[in-house]
Amino acid sequence: MRARPVFRGTELGHLVWVALLVGLGFVAVVGSEREQLTAAALAVPVAFVGIALALHFFLAFRGFRGDELLLPLALGLAAIGLVLVQRLAPAHLLPQQLTWAIIGGGAFVAAILVPRDLSVLSRYKYTWALAGIALLALPVLPGIGREINGARIWVGFGELLSFQPAEAVKVILVIFFAAYLEEHRELLARPPRRIGPVPIPPPPYLIPILLMWALAMGVMILQKDLGATLIFFGIFLAMLYLATGRAAYSVAGILMLIAGGWAASRVFEHVNARIVTWLAPFSDELRFGAGYQLVQGLFALGNAGLLGAGLGNGMPERIPVVWSDFVFTAFTEEVGFVGALALLALYLVLVFRGMAIAMRAPTPFLQLVAGGLSFALAFQTLVIVAGNAKLIPLTGVTLPFLSYGGSSLVTNFVIVALLLRISDVTMRVRGG
Amino acid sequence: MIRPIGANIRALTLVIAIAFLATSVGVSYWTLVASADLSSDAFNPRLLATLLDRPRGRFIAADGTELASSVRLADGSLRRRYADRSLAQVIAYASSKYGAAGLEAAYAESLIGRDVADPIGQWRARYLREHPDPGSVQLAIVPSVQRAAAAALAGRRGAVIVVDPRSGAILASVSEPNYDANILVDPAQQDLAWQQVNGNTERPLLDRATQGLYPPGSTFKLVTAAAAIESGWDPRAKVRVDDPYQADPSWGSYHVRSPSQAHGDFDMSLAFQRSENIYFAKAGLFAGAQRLTEYASRFGIGAAPRCELAASRGQIATGTIDRPTLVADTSFGQGELLVSPLQMALVAATIARGGSLPTPHYASAVLDARGDPLRLVEPGAAGQAIRPDTAATIAAALVAAVEAPGAFASGARIPGVHVAGKTGTAEAPSGAPHGWFVGFAPAENATAAVAVIIENAARGGEDAAPVGGAVLRAAIGR
Repeated sequence: MRARPVFRGTELGHLVWVALLVGLGFVAVVGSEREQLTAAALAVPVAFVGIALALHFFLAFRGFRGDELLLPLALGLAAIGLVLVQRLAPAHLLPQQLTWAIIGGGAFVAAILVPRDLSVLSRYKYTWALAGIALLALPVLPGIGREINGARIWVGFGELLSFQPAEAVKVILVIFFAAYLEEHRELLARPPRRIGPVPIPPPPYLIPILLMWALAMGVMILQKDLGATLIFFGIFLAMLYLATGRAAYSVAGILMLIAGGWAASRVFEHVNARIVTWLAPFSDELRFGAGYQLVQGLFALGNAGLLGAGLGNGMPERIPVVWSDFVFTAFTEEVGFVGALALLALYLVLVFRGMAIAMRAPTPFLQLVAGGLSFALAFQTLVIVAGNAKLIPLTGVTLPFLSYGGSSLVTNFVIVALLLRISDVTMRVRGG
Repeated sequence: MIRPIGANIRALTLVIAIAFLATSVGVSYWTLVASADLSSDAFNPRLLATLLDRPRGRFIAADGTELASSVRLADGSLRRRYADRSLAQVIAYASSKYGAAGLEAAYAESLIGRDVADPIGQWRARYLREHPDPGSVQLAIVPSVQRAAAAALAGRRGAVIVVDPRSGAILASVSEPNYDANILVDPAQQDLAWQQVNGNTERPLLDRATQGLYPPGSTFKLVTAAAAIESGWDPRAKVRVDDPYQADPSWGSYHVRSPSQAHGDFDMSLAFQRSENIYFAKAGLFAGAQRLTEYASRFGIGAAPRCELAASRGQIATGTIDRPTLVADTSFGQGELLVSPLQMALVAATIARGGSLPTPHYASAVLDARGDPLRLVEPGAAGQAIRPDTAATIAAALVAAVEAPGAFASGARIPGVHVAGKTGTAEAPSGAPHGWFVGFAPAENATAAVAVIIENAARGGEDAAPVGGAVLRAAIGR
């Protein structure tokens, strides 16, 4: 079946904004560095606009009918990310990030094309689960596993590019949970058993809750980076709520996580150190030690004011590895609180579009997948932004589309592709 | 009946929206509310940014001498240069790695052209990102007095601080041991230097003039005298002194001892000359614990002096003065009293200027890039501590304490000028007692008040008096 090309005018129109964002962003940043504005300096934004147009025309020529705002939103965020890599990261990271954007575009195209029928995803759910576990185990294997900054969560391909499988596992987890929870939905018709006034979830819910909690605890205690675990557990609890509508299950899960974290902080010094650093980073012992990164980040936020320092005029480079964990802070220092609000609004619109797609999706499975993926984007954004602003303990997760890092960028493009496909299926099923 | 997934999606979306709102409020706190505190934090590298790429403002002394400036090295980089090591704890340092301290921290914004008196400059720096040429901070420090103070202290552990009683301006401040701030800002030496300076058990980073806490010893008798006179004690009346002294047998084995094993009649002037503990114990008991405490606080003891540096509060007693023996002990400066040299210099200055407590300050003005004043630093008096006639009575007694034959403080004499002063010898936690001198000159119309402390001085106050004399002499230009 060969579809007729369609005109995706809204999408194309909004890509103009994306082009302006990346173009003017580069001009501003390169200008602020008092360097000559050479053709080479502009090659990156031009190439990025090329990727954007390629993806748009790919969808248009395939007669794709899905949402027309998701792609411009994602590309707009990625454009800001590219500008920030130019602004913040060592020079050799910029071509790498562009390469990852190209690979991300390729992954986007692949996810649009394969599999031809989305329901395949639910059929092989235990295969997915196995694949996820295998991916998580990859970094431990000798040869391809890599240790970077003390965490062995990377897989290397050759010299240049390395990949964090945990990012991809997020998507696999959403698909697996969606399939699993959909299969057991009929249990909800029965009233839950109770011990006294406390409702006990039926085993198909109870067992995964306990398993996921044990996994979260295990990673928190054994690994020092609990960001990914928090994301996995959060996605699971959100999808449990989407499937069952019983907030009590999720609230119980959150309480279990807090209780476990508290208990772990009493026993394990490295968990405790994290909490102490979060609560009092400005103390004399911590501001030059464990709290240094956070304190420097808060100084940067304090420099932001309402309108910010202007692109290139702040000092966010004083924050260690700012291009990965603290892009939000760096962005805010230079564009101000107003800019930060605008950025958060972009994420929120992206998430709202995703949730709207989930609402209209034709099957419970697709609803759960779309809802889970949208939640994953929202939750990851909140975890890192709130961590930067000292609202919660800092965890080293990426800010979707903005942080330097290939695994994150590719994964987020795949998420957008899947949301677009679900939206396309909905349009075809419901007409309109 | 199963709740449709759509309803759950809507509820979850609402939760997400609320979480985004809460996060935005959190971000607004740091960017808008806490912004001022964060941007003036001494460790904020933005305040020190000028160290790397632009000259930072200078500190200049009262006579125009450069005390700290940014110089360009042969390799083109900028380096902070400190001209006077004896001001190490006052001006301190501005390091791109270890942050700023002392006046470098207190005037951090003024030194990068963002002084509070220049809201337009601040606004331009903040929103237009213009880098205004930095101005300078004009200090009241007089190099000749500073040199005299450092030379007189001669490397002994202790401090000397000189205040102009008329304005509260600090004319000199020395704290030994000190350190070389230049190596703290040299990238090649800073790490080792920081370790050595910070780890040194003699604590060279501590400014003993403002933050050292010592029992005041007999120098506290100035406060006791004021409390007694204003409670009705007659300074001219003869009081019988017989060593040792006990007010009543309930004191048990406790006695007040006279430094000269005196038996005789003392008025206040003679009591100051001989530093007679029994006289001042009786005067303190006459005034009572409450008045004594009240007058110590009126002179600023127990409250941190409001100046550009973090100065110690000191203490009158750990709790309240609740027994006669502690009243007696406090009256001649032991008990549980702790004061900083700055506080004692302010006590002397208060008596010198007729009873009002001056507010100390190191800077006299903040100048813009052209050298014109952006603002003058001239805080007013902190309040009237004692009556002018009380101050005059004590001042006259203090002149006698320096000039009378056999006076303990005779080492502070200056030919041709009346000097008012008082020595003190304070019990140290270990080793020989600390030696004190507080005083001012010229006595009738003082232009300088001084406090000297020498830790573990062999002869106590008698070691400190000549230091005070030499410093006052330099300060009044003799």
